[in-house]
Amino acid sequence: MKILVADDSRVMRQIVSRTLRQAGFSGYEVVEAADGKEGLDRTIEHKPDLVLSDWNMPEMNGIQFLNGLRNEGINIPFGFVTSESTSEMRKTAEEAGALFLITKPFTADTFREILDPILG
Amino acid sequence: MTIQPTDEDLSTIAEQVWSSYLDPEEVSPLLPFPAPVRTTEVSASVSVTGSWRGHVVLSCSVRAAKSAAGALLGVELEEVTTEDIADALGELANIIGGNVKSLLPEPCALSLPHVLVGRVEKEHWPAVTEICRLDGSWQDEMVQICVLESVEDKDAGEASPS
Repeated sequence: MKILVADDSRVMRQIVSRTLRQAGFSGYEVVEAADGKEGLDRTIEHKPDLVLSDWNMPEMNGIQFLNGLRNEGINIPFGFVTSESTSEMRKTAEEAGALFLITKPFTADTFREILDPILG
Repeated sequence: MTIQPTDEDLSTIAEQVWSSYLDPEEVSPLLPFPAPVRTTEVSASVSVTGSWRGHVVLSCSVRAAKSAAGALLGVELEEVTTEDIADALGELANIIGGNVKSLLPEPCALSLPHVLVGRVEKEHWPAVTEICRLDGSWQDEMVQICVLESVEDKDAGEASPS
């Protein structure tokens, strides 16, 4: 069981991993990616159960990453973990097929509440 | 009337960042410290472009930056590298900037963070006006968050007849 975490900040990837453990998802192996391009490659390689992606990243941003996955016919559950959450972004994310958008800063409770129904 | 973030908004955002990441145990909160700072050692910023143009700047001492990186990474201060400081402060600026952006008129875009480590003069930001500011003290070290609006672009836009 794997969760892919894509964020250009190593610090944030670590915080997301730690929060996943605190939220009770320690049974999942975390696969890290430093941008959308790496996220796309690693998702194809590792076939995770869930992708958690930042929005604003160099090389390939989060929405391009999600579109790239869907274009490849990969329908792995995908959610954003981002510092921005305007109504326009939420609409764009939803239309592209994202299941949720978690706003930074987040807590373990937020992760539990949103991820429990998806990861069971 | 244009919606602008206020000092209170910055306090609320900072409180969320501190309680989530920098002080989850509530032992070392960010305290108000009403002394404007002219020179800082570390400055992390994100720029906003679009309907509103400007910068959200997080400034602090190297010591505070080190403590922040240590808290975010969950490591001891001695283990924190300059790269960790740049990454941690950049991410904090990104989080604060993203939350500030939600208070600004849409559509706006947020840049990737830019971090300067070394003595940074406040006048480093030309042609801006300060919209709001939070002066704080964390673990006896100064921390400042500023929202600066670009005045040059706005004036240029208004002055241009074409």
